[in-house]
Amino acid sequence: MNKRILGALATVVLGAGVIAGIGTYVASAKNDSTVLAATPAGTMDTPQGNLPHATLAISVYPDSSAGSHGKDGGAHPGYVTYGPSTNFEVPAHSVITMTVTNYDGGESLNNDYFARVRGTIDGSAQLNGERMTSISPDAVGHTFTIHGLAVGQDELFVSVPMKAVAEEDMPEEGFTTKPNVTTFTFITGSPGEYVWNCEYPCGDGTIAKFGAAMSTMGYMSGHFTVKG
Amino acid sequence: MTTVMSKSVSAPGKSIIEKLNVFTAVALGAISAIVVWRLSLAFLPQDADSALIFSREDKITLLSMCAWFVGFMTGIGALVGPFRWLMGKDLSHEENMFLAGKDMGPKRYFRYTTDHKVVGIQYLFITILIFFLGGTLAMLIRTNLGTPEGGWLHAQAYNSIVGTHGILMIVGTIIMVTGPFGNFIMPIMIGARDMAFPRLNALSFWLIVAAAIPLLWGQFIGGITTGWSAYNPLASQAPLGMDGYIMYICIFAISTMVAGANITTTVVKMRAKGMTWNRTPIFIYGTVASVALALPAFPVFFLSQVLSAFDRALGTSFYNTKLGGSGWLYENLFWLMGHPEVYVILIPSLAALMEMAPVFTRRPLFSFNVAIMGIAGISGLSVLVWAHHMYISGWAPLLNAPFMLTTELISIPTGMLFLVLIGTLWRGRLWMTMPLMSIFALLWNFMIGGITGIYLSDVPADGFLHGSMYVTAHFHYTLMGAGLTGALASLVYWFPKMTGRMFDKTLSWISFWMVQIGFNVAFVGMFMVGLAGQPRRVESYAPTFNTANMVTTAGAYIIMIGMLVLLYGVISSARSGVKAPKNPWQAKTLEWTVDYPIPLENFDVLPTVTSDPYGYGKAQS
Repeated sequence: MNKRILGALATVVLGAGVIAGIGTYVASAKNDSTVLAATPAGTMDTPQGNLPHATLAISVYPDSSAGSHGKDGGAHPGYVTYGPSTNFEVPAHSVITMTVTNYDGGESLNNDYFARVRGTIDGSAQLNGERMTSISPDAVGHTFTIHGLAVGQDELFVSVPMKAVAEEDMPEEGFTTKPNVTTFTFITGSPGEYVWNCEYPCGDGTIAKFGAAMSTMGYMSGHFTVKG
Repeated sequence: MTTVMSKSVSAPGKSIIEKLNVFTAVALGAISAIVVWRLSLAFLPQDADSALIFSREDKITLLSMCAWFVGFMTGIGALVGPFRWLMGKDLSHEENMFLAGKDMGPKRYFRYTTDHKVVGIQYLFITILIFFLGGTLAMLIRTNLGTPEGGWLHAQAYNSIVGTHGILMIVGTIIMVTGPFGNFIMPIMIGARDMAFPRLNALSFWLIVAAAIPLLWGQFIGGITTGWSAYNPLASQAPLGMDGYIMYICIFAISTMVAGANITTTVVKMRAKGMTWNRTPIFIYGTVASVALALPAFPVFFLSQVLSAFDRALGTSFYNTKLGGSGWLYENLFWLMGHPEVYVILIPSLAALMEMAPVFTRRPLFSFNVAIMGIAGISGLSVLVWAHHMYISGWAPLLNAPFMLTTELISIPTGMLFLVLIGTLWRGRLWMTMPLMSIFALLWNFMIGGITGIYLSDVPADGFLHGSMYVTAHFHYTLMGAGLTGALASLVYWFPKMTGRMFDKTLSWISFWMVQIGFNVAFVGMFMVGLAGQPRRVESYAPTFNTANMVTTAGAYIIMIGMLVLLYGVISSARSGVKAPKNPWQAKTLEWTVDYPIPLENFDVLPTVTSDPYGYGKAQS
């Protein structure tokens, strides 16, 4: 083969290799790469019949010294964060019970819509063991809100508010000993890829509080995967 | 120039100017950044919990990046001349010759060299590097969009890649003609010994190198997640990577202003005797129009980013509506630069192709005066169209109609340039080279880019198309389909003068066809999904758009192969291509009258111009 053509082909192969290498590096360099899978817990009777049951237990912390950010809170120790992970994997066509322990305080929501429980079985949740369907929009710490395109996959929208820890119960150092525990249950459909995020403006120190932890994945947002 | 370097220049005990190069620059820049970073961490107070804006991290980042910039520019030697001048002792003749890179061989490409030919090659190298990086990011984007669900890249990384690809390619396309060819070719073409301000010429190049590191740095601290336009207040909420964007733009804007002042002065003051405005090549008009447009545009861009930095690091509220600022202020400042910038990119490419058209048709340029009127018309109108990017932003709806009118008027001078190119090709004796075929490619691509632009300039149509892939396809047709096509033709055309060797003909053809076919496949697919409603800057999309996205991704891979073939062509032709004669194209402009290697000061005796540069077939031409 002509030496020039061979050289050009070699450049194409080498260039494509370099591009593939950079792509592989970028694709693997995710700051929220850990995935928390739901724990199977037998079956449960639901309005849709008896379904496989799985549970997930997570928390919300006022800083990043907990969660998956490593020693001393990682790059942004001051950021509020969910943990131990922000990526979750749950089984399809199952009933999922999530328990969220909130150690953080809070104030008012921008949009009262997210003060109501939505998308769970019978539209309710348990707050510290008591049934509730909404909380005051002025006492919300965070929300756990799952969104997803309804095109090509089953619709899944779940939004549950987490009650803020009272200001007098927030210590100067460490985490409160009086967190608010919210438990809610919902049913998954067919496999799909969804995202979740917090709808409470908790990016302190940024415009409208929607920057910082709110605009950096791995803190107050992540992926929610329903697997077959 | 008869002075030669004395032995003492390279002997032990050499002066500071001889010790500085890109390696000392990187070292001093890195040390400065680390020192300032540590000091900032130690001494800057923590943000108060009650503060509305937390700015400590931004202060630390911006201060460290400023330290990098100052350290790098000091390390490369940019401050030696000004410092010596301030001390009342300017550089000696020997030192100026050293700065010009006389008798220094390849080392001069790694120094603060003032010779315009060295700066031109440096610009060519950095343009290729920018296109390689920007092209790599484009391939990552298209690979991720190969399937509707995306997910190969992290969503935030994807956003950052889109923003970084955008700003890299904008900078790359701004410098792709005026950088390499405006520096290397233009002074010889007008019969000058060098640029008017050789040290500023070196400064403009090394500023771009200095700007690159903050942009790269930004990728590791959250990235540029806002798209290349970095709208505020979105950018104010974005991670620390935005500080890298801010520094990158500020430094690049200074570089562009410096280059603009230098090129304009050179052309106005240093044209050869007899080179009246009627005898000045059209490429010179294009270059001057481009940098003259950049002169008012880039200070505004610079200002927009300075205010952005103030909002992030000093807690001001220029763009924060909640505290009395306005996001529209940013949009206006940005697009006051952003739309002239399109023509900063396009005009030199069009002018370069108009320069080549007479050479490869052996005919005079069809209506030189119409060409100049077209360039002037585009330049004048381009500063009056910026708000067509803001029709649906809610800013001054009453101004939508006037901006629609000015935008649509710009098709008239654009049409004039089409007329000049087609008129020159008409009944010409076509010499079928890659540069000539690039004229046909430009006419095709720019026709599509221009016509689709008319729909976007129309307020009702823009209401539907705004923010869709249609817009992305449109501006790629203009900036890449027209702008880059002209730049690649310029590379092949002036390659013999810049390297002394001919560009490999076979490789230039293979590359040309792969890039043009791939380009049209890729961006017609993008028009289709845009018209169907796919928004731009999304990491995943509805499955209904899958087929056309697959087509676009396939086209992008073909472009990649074509560009890599071109890269090999550059390297292999420069190393072992056929040696070029003095004037391989039998052109009439002055750069083809000098031998390769071109002497330090270009001409032994400054030329006198006595004829029209496009007088093919005319007596006494």
